[in-house]
Amino acid sequence: MRPSDDELGQSGSPSPTTWNITLTYFKIGALGFGGGYAVLDLIHTELVVKQRWLSEEGFEDMTALSEMAPGALTVNLLAAIAYRIGGIWAMISATAALILPSFVLIIALTGLFLAWQNNPVVQSAMKGLTAGVVGLLIAVVWDIGKGVPKHWYCFAVGITALLLGLAFPVNPIWLVLLGGLAGVIKVLLAAVFKKNSSAGRSTQ
Amino acid sequence: MNILYELAYSFLKIGFFGFGGGFAMIPLMQHVAVHQHSWMSSAQFGVAIALGQVTPGPVAISATFIGYKVAGLPGALLATIAIFTPSLLIMYLLDRFYLKERKNEITHAIMHGIMPVIVALILLAAVSLGRPAVHSWWQALVVVTVAVLAITRRVSYGLLVLGCMAVGALMGL
Repeated sequence: MRPSDDELGQSGSPSPTTWNITLTYFKIGALGFGGGYAVLDLIHTELVVKQRWLSEEGFEDMTALSEMAPGALTVNLLAAIAYRIGGIWAMISATAALILPSFVLIIALTGLFLAWQNNPVVQSAMKGLTAGVVGLLIAVVWDIGKGVPKHWYCFAVGITALLLGLAFPVNPIWLVLLGGLAGVIKVLLAAVFKKNSSAGRSTQ
Repeated sequence: MNILYELAYSFLKIGFFGFGGGFAMIPLMQHVAVHQHSWMSSAQFGVAIALGQVTPGPVAISATFIGYKVAGLPGALLATIAIFTPSLLIMYLLDRFYLKERKNEITHAIMHGIMPVIVALILLAAVSLGRPAVHSWWQALVVVTVAVLAITRRVSYGLLVLGCMAVGALMGL
């Protein structure tokens, strides 16, 4: 049921085996520090340049698709690519291999942290770390905020979400859904107005 | 059994609604782990995010920390599988049925509505993490320094987190 090579825009490389894909994904999982866009370069080098499993165009298309889907960008992108080049089992085993290195590391570090968290030096290190994470989140707000279109309705939606979140202990999922709904309403209203104005013009 | 069910349900939900990438999932995880279930303190959640930065791989791996803290190894495994499974499922469905119309106007409109909300939510997550924890002048300085370095100098998040830990440990000596 996989799409043909032509549809994929593949550069004529031999079809990789599930094992090949899984191994490459393990490598990306072990080396890909930073998550998200920081890892896109590494993914591009490994899959497009070195392995030639998909074309530049295919890579860009799939990145755009992955940005639209919920979830971690890199996992979305790599899962989709694995499915394209290797099918459903490659997708599952390669994604597991991708997550495995960080999973093992996190388990080890979490174990250490839970054992030492009452140590005064660790407590003090945590104070620095919490402050650092607050700083990082501000940087993320800046980075993502830069990419938001500078339309009045984007500002309105953002400010509304901020005020709602500050005023009520609402589950953020509802705010995400409301944001999506606001986007749909905006585009529908725009379509209605466009239709009306063009109808008005045609009667003149 | 009950706690495992709760973990799986919560993280599946986050996986399905975490639009906007790994960082956009942080407010959702914070809501579940700190505000809704009191699985951990706000400061411990900060550690969950920090560990996601110093390890390779996706940011959403903070789910593993939460799962481990709540229910040991089974919890860690379940939370991790639960947060990433929706990605696989959705990418599979998108690839099968949606690819041809991905430049669809409605999809863009939805994302344009969601992105400002995500910005607001991450800002709120920063406030709710910082308000109970950032009390001293040096912590305020760390917040500003990290934000500026991450934005202007593009210093890697993992290095910044390690630096902050070192500064914190030194201030405690």
